[in-house]
Amino acid sequence: MSGVGFLVGAGFGFALAAARLNDYDVIHNMLLLRELDVFLLMASAIAVAAPTLWVLSRRRWHTPLGGPLALQRCAVERKTVVGAMMFGTGWALAGTCPGPALAMVAGGGLLGLVVMVGLVAGLSLRDAVAARSSAPRAQRPLDRSIALGR
Amino acid sequence: MPLLPDRLPWYVAGPLIGLLLIVMYSAANRTIGVSGSYLEVLGFLRRRPSPERWRVWFFGGIFAGALAATALRGGPALGLDYGTLSRALPLAALVPLLFLAGLLMGYGARWAGGCTSGHGICGTSALSPGSFVATATFMAAAVVVTAVLHFVTGGAL
Repeated sequence: MSGVGFLVGAGFGFALAAARLNDYDVIHNMLLLRELDVFLLMASAIAVAAPTLWVLSRRRWHTPLGGPLALQRCAVERKTVVGAMMFGTGWALAGTCPGPALAMVAGGGLLGLVVMVGLVAGLSLRDAVAARSSAPRAQRPLDRSIALGR
Repeated sequence: MPLLPDRLPWYVAGPLIGLLLIVMYSAANRTIGVSGSYLEVLGFLRRRPSPERWRVWFFGGIFAGALAATALRGGPALGLDYGTLSRALPLAALVPLLFLAGLLMGYGARWAGGCTSGHGICGTSALSPGSFVATATFMAAAVVVTAVLHFVTGGAL
């Protein structure tokens, strides 16, 4: 599992840096709708993965390391929208997101570290707030795979 | 002579990322969510046990892969450059802004259950309704905020 994780991560990091998604101006120009490359990049990734994953799950593909293939799906909730609005605001300000920020630091952009520190602080803060607000009421157990996977 | 084009075209990088998603799902039944991996690294540093420790390797892989791509272009040049943003703002303003942006992204991603990788690429590829809504929402929010920044700064950003 660790080996697959490392290799997939390496390919992902390579693609991010090679396509310059770790460059503020590439993301900024995308969000200014000046160039559509990054939208097309994301769409083409989905266009390759979605049909393949659909066929694999229909055929009840058994993964060698993780049991029967189960595509993780989640419902639309209020937190999905509110959280995504916050995420989008930060994305626009920094011109980077969690993966590209890490690739930015790997490319020598030291200010990416500031974004990374902020990310860890924000992720931890949300967990702390969630733990606090759910403490009095019994909450259904968090789906760990979704919580960690996304 | 750099071995890599200045910018790998989207029609190469996009399908490559799609293939990596297929590998991760079909080999290990896992998604590639980067924001979750940040917390996994934090947990690892705090020596907390976790069944998803492999995500630390995934995180390290992203760094290694990005380093390799940078090396093929002539190596990383350490610096404080942040493109147009570092030309528009002094460092003393840039650092708190980037921290705040990270904070918003981290909090929002955790709240929404994913970021650009987990929802934007993985969840959408799994045809997850929540991921389509999250992706459309953060893209719309980011485009609006960027347009406001562009307008407020008189086109400097």
